[in-house]
Parts: sequence; C-alpha cells; structure tokens
Amino acid sequence: MLAGLKAISNGAASSAKLHLNFWNGWTGPDGVAMLDVIREFNRENPDIEVSMQRMDWDTYYNKLMVSAMSHRGPEVFVIHASSLPRMVRAGFVADVSDLYGSKFGINKSDFEPKVLAPVQYGSKTVGLPLDVHPQGLYCDVDLFKKAGLTNPDGTIRPPRTGEEFIRDIKATQEIAANGDHDVWGFCWTMWRFNFMSLAPQFNGRYFDQNGNPDLANPGNVAALSFMGDLMNRQKLIPTPESSTGWTGFRQKKVAMVLEGVYMVGDLKTLDDFHPAAASVPQIGPNPGTLADSHCLCLRADLTGKEREAAERFVAFLSQHSIAWAKAGQVPARISIRSSPEFEALPIQYAFSKEVPFVSFPPKTPLLFEMTQEIDLAVEKVLRGRATAKEALDVANQNFTQVVLRDRQENAR
Amino acid sequence: MRSFGSQRFTSYLFLAPYGLSFLVFIVAPILVALSLAFTQLDLTSRVPSHLVGLDNFSEALHDPYFGQAAVATLRFTILIVPSLIVLAFGLAIGLQAMSFGRNAVRGLIFLPGMFNVVVASLIWRWFYDGEFGLFNFLLKKVGLPHAPWLSDKSWAMPSIVAMSLWWGLGGATIILFAALQQVPTHLYEAAMLDGATSRGLFANITLPQVRPVLLFVVVTSTIGGFQLFGQSFILTSGGPERSTTGLVMLIYDTAFHKYRLGYASAISWLLFAMIAAFVLLQFFGLRRSVD
Repeated sequence: MLAGLKAISNGAASSAKLHLNFWNGWTGPDGVAMLDVIREFNRENPDIEVSMQRMDWDTYYNKLMVSAMSHRGPEVFVIHASSLPRMVRAGFVADVSDLYGSKFGINKSDFEPKVLAPVQYGSKTVGLPLDVHPQGLYCDVDLFKKAGLTNPDGTIRPPRTGEEFIRDIKATQEIAANGDHDVWGFCWTMWRFNFMSLAPQFNGRYFDQNGNPDLANPGNVAALSFMGDLMNRQKLIPTPESSTGWTGFRQKKVAMVLEGVYMVGDLKTLDDFHPAAASVPQIGPNPGTLADSHCLCLRADLTGKEREAAERFVAFLSQHSIAWAKAGQVPARISIRSSPEFEALPIQYAFSKEVPFVSFPPKTPLLFEMTQEIDLAVEKVLRGRATAKEALDVANQNFTQVVLRDRQENAR
Repeated sequence: MRSFGSQRFTSYLFLAPYGLSFLVFIVAPILVALSLAFTQLDLTSRVPSHLVGLDNFSEALHDPYFGQAAVATLRFTILIVPSLIVLAFGLAIGLQAMSFGRNAVRGLIFLPGMFNVVVASLIWRWFYDGEFGLFNFLLKKVGLPHAPWLSDKSWAMPSIVAMSLWWGLGGATIILFAALQQVPTHLYEAAMLDGATSRGLFANITLPQVRPVLLFVVVTSTIGGFQLFGQSFILTSGGPERSTTGLVMLIYDTAFHKYRLGYASAISWLLFAMIAAFVLLQFFGLRRSVD
C-alpha cells in the first residue's frame, strides 16, 4: 500500500512539473553533448522537465515555421543568426531583453558587439547567442610535417598570408609520375561558405549603404576571382569534376581545407588522424572570415511560469556552454572562451581567435534567395564559364528583382 | 426494394473509409492548393494573405528559373520515356523468349525498383563520384579519363536518366512482359502458317495486342518523368548551375525555403497543366492507333 501511495505521489509530482519543448537541428554528436547538458538541467531543476527534439536543419526550419504560425511551436528553439531575420519578420520570436542583466548574470559586455548584433532588432533582443562558429583553416599535421612546414618546437606552421598560403599549397601537394595528384595542397569545400569567408577580407559586401543589393562590388569580385584563379589559372586546386573537399581531407588526400569549427566532431571519429586549426589566411587586405551563431530563442506568446522556466533553461545552457564547446563549438561568451577549460581544446581555441574579425551573413530575410544567386555565380566562375564580374553582375540583377518584389509585396 | 436499398447502404458503408480519406487527403488539399494559387501567402511576410488574381501565374511565366526548371523537366521526360519503353519492351521480349531461369532474371530486373529513391540515388552518387566513384575507377582501369558524371551541365541530366532507368526499368518490364503473355498464341500460329516473317509478327500481332498496356506504361512513365525530384535532389542538388532542377524541386524550394506558398501552388498548377497536356496528347495519339 505504501508503495502504491509512493507511486501516486511520484506521479503527482511528475505531473506538477512544467514541461518545456526544446527543438533544434543538432542531429550529430553535438546533439548528444546537448542531451547531457539537458539531463543535468533536469536533475538540478526538479520542477521543470525539458524534452529535446532534434531533426535535420532543413526539416527543422519548415516544421518550426509551420508549428509557430499555428501557435503550436516549442517553447524554446534554436535559430541560426543568419536565419533570424526571416523568423523575426514572421513574428513568432520573443523579445528576451530581460535575459540579459543581473537576473541570470548574463551581461551584454560578455559578448563582442558583432556577436550580439544579429539578435538586436532596435531596442529588442530576440535571442541569446550560444556559440560562434567561424570558418577556419584545417591542416593535416602529418602532411605538413612531411612537407617540412614545422616550427623549431616541432609544431606545424599554418599559412597566415596569401603568399604563405600559395607556398604551402605547393609544398604539401604530392604529384605522381603520371602527373596525377596523390595529395592536393588545398581544396575548396562548401563553395558558398568559402567565398563568403574570403569576401570580407577584400571589403566585400552584399548590400550598399542604402540597402540595395551590391553583390558585384569590387571586394566580392576580387574574392571570387581569387577562388577561380587558384583552380583554373594556377591549377593548384582540383577542378569541380574531381573536387574532393572534406572527404579528401579526411582521407589524407588534401592537406588544407576551409571548414567550420563544428567539423571537429567528425574528425574525432577518425583513427590516427592529426588535425590542427588556424585562422583563414589573410588573402586580402584585411583579416576576416564568415561566422554564424546558434541563438537560443523563446516563443513570442510565452507568459508567466512557462516564460520564467524557459528563461531559466536558456540561461543554464549559456552558463554551461563549455560542455557545448567540447562538442565542437566556440562559446559566444567571452568569459567562457577565456577559461582554462576552453583553452585546453586546441581546435576550438584556434578558431576562437577569429572571433574579433568574423563577419556574419547580412541581416536580410531574403538570405536564401541571395545565397542561391551567389551559389550560381561561384559555380560559374569555378567551372570557368564566366569571369567573377560577369557572374556576380548577373547574380546582382537577379537578386535585385527579388528584393524589389519583396519590397513591393511588403509595402501593400 | 428494401433489400436493394439496404444493400446500397452497405456498399456505401464499405466505401466510406476510403471515400472520407480521399476527400480529406486528396480533394481538400487540391482545393486548398487551387485557392492558394490565386493568393499571396508568404509565411514570413508582414502583409496578411490576400487574393492576387492571376499574378502568381503571370510571375511564374516571367520567372527565368521557372523556364529553366520547365526545360530541365521536359528534358528529363523526353530522355527517359522513350528509352524506358524501348529497353523495357526489349527486356520483356527477351524474358518471353527464355525457356529457363526466367523467374530469376525477372526478379533481378525488378530488384532495383524495390529500393527507395533515396537509397537508389545514394548508391548511384557513389558510382558517379568524380574521385572515388566506381565508374571513374573502371574508366581509369581501361585507361580512359575521368568523366564528369554529375559535375558537368551536359553530363548531369543523362546521368540522372541512366540512374532512373536502372531504378524504374523493372516495373515497366514486368507490366509489358505480362501483356506479352496475354497475346493468344493461335494468332502467331495462324500468321506463321500464312508465311509471316518475325518482323511481320511483331508489327501486326505483338504491337497491336500490347498497345493498350503500352499506352498505360507511356502515360505513367510520363507522369513520373514530370515529377522528377528525388534523384536530382540527392545526386546533384539541382546543379550544376541549376541544370537538373526540375519543377517539383522548384516548388519545394519556393514553398519550404522561401515560404511563398501561394506562388509555389501556382507553379504546381502549371506543372499539372503541363502533365495533363502531355498525357492527353499521348492518350489520344496512341488510342487512335489502338482503335
């Protein structure tokens, strides 16, 4: 009877718990790391129970949009900084300005202004950046050592400038007697991300000061020309027909690639692979690279206890972002990045040095349409079917049409 | 009379589950899509949805990406339908002529069709891989250069067609083989007694006898061709330079990446009109020759 009573009382306690749904697209090892953080939260907060639902990002955004529009969305969800403008315009993301301050000990000064900028909409702050994930340079330590690109202490010496980059591509490549490359020095991976990582180095931009599309500006043209030249004129990069990218890097057939910090989890699954990371070499006049953030957001119509619980959960994730960093991320908070625990993560720490000069994608609800045009332009140039200027001019014309249509529709 | 009425009621009762699901899951979405096609419904727009008349259709007809996707879809359909029919018919005749091992061969031909399109496409993505793929490995073995199976505009669509043929050939072959088996043997015997050649037998007996089934295979494969999506989504993501982006992929992008549901619905109806036009053309063309 006592056991029965205990079961009933446990059931009552469990039903008194406030249930929160947390959706995201972390389907890889990062999601497993996040589950551990959530378990810890549930243990420390017996009055709240958080359930996490993961799905691939494409499906996730569709499901999030549809559920949110019908007011059945999750209480807490993740949105990339780059996707925020579209979701904010749809009107289902809450202002979470009150998360910052003494209530949870999260100060805005603990974030670089450029990391906070994507969540700022006038006086409103619509999310809490959990991480910054910049694009950086991955190097294969064994191939670098084989090429003699080492420091006196035995560590490898990744390229820092454009000249060093070209020199190291040539030094690390291995060409067979028949002219085939056994090892390439470098290979483009995600073309769009590679382009958007280089464009800021040449003062590239996507909109002019009046908010009109400016994809064919001289900076973007220079960055794209560099990409095309490396492949088509200098022949230092495998052509698109035999592009090995990340797969080639994993198989030790490529010595260097540009990729996001989140790929470190993938490398951990490999036996006997020794990667190192560095900032994207400075090819243009400025240092720079592309970055994005996972932002923690709340449903706009949350009130009372639900809102309080959701805020508590989001603050907990932010405070425990060192656990998240171990899964292959750079924490958004400066204080966590400067902890010895984070400095002990060599790849993540190397990527974190890029944070002061990262560029986020432009704050536009039409990012998908813009990147669609950029993808086409980059593809044309890498395949040698157009010059960078020609390809970006076409991209700009097409994107301008989209922007004009959108303005017209939203002005009604 | 009462018995007839009760029988009719019972038959309606049996039909009701399917009828209801047909209304809810087929008719209602069609009606919703029809109304959406005349509406501006952008989930992320500040403006509430409103009627725009034929604006969505007019926009599609002026949209270069719609034109490009329509051309890609037509190209795929024009490449796959005749090759599928010729190959499936050839295999069906071959099966018909086999005296032993027919069932095993039939099973092998049908096997690829049992894979989900995603699985089939993933297998072929590895076959086509520029650096590590099976086909380029074989080409290298015989001293030939790598082929840009999926990375060149002129190669990508034929490569998708080849994969789709491998995947879809089994079903069409089995149907045509079944039709061939239904042709009465006495027709061949009588014609042979009259001195008919094998060519004459095929043209005057086989072809006319299986023509209704052939019409079915042509119509269904044409509809399948216009609905190209899974193969290009997995193999090429619509590239290179959008050359394998079909209309269904355009609809998917418009609805689920750009959230423009009204415009996506209008494109869907234009695709429906294209399919209907082609199918009617084939139907009347082939039916006339059947008659």
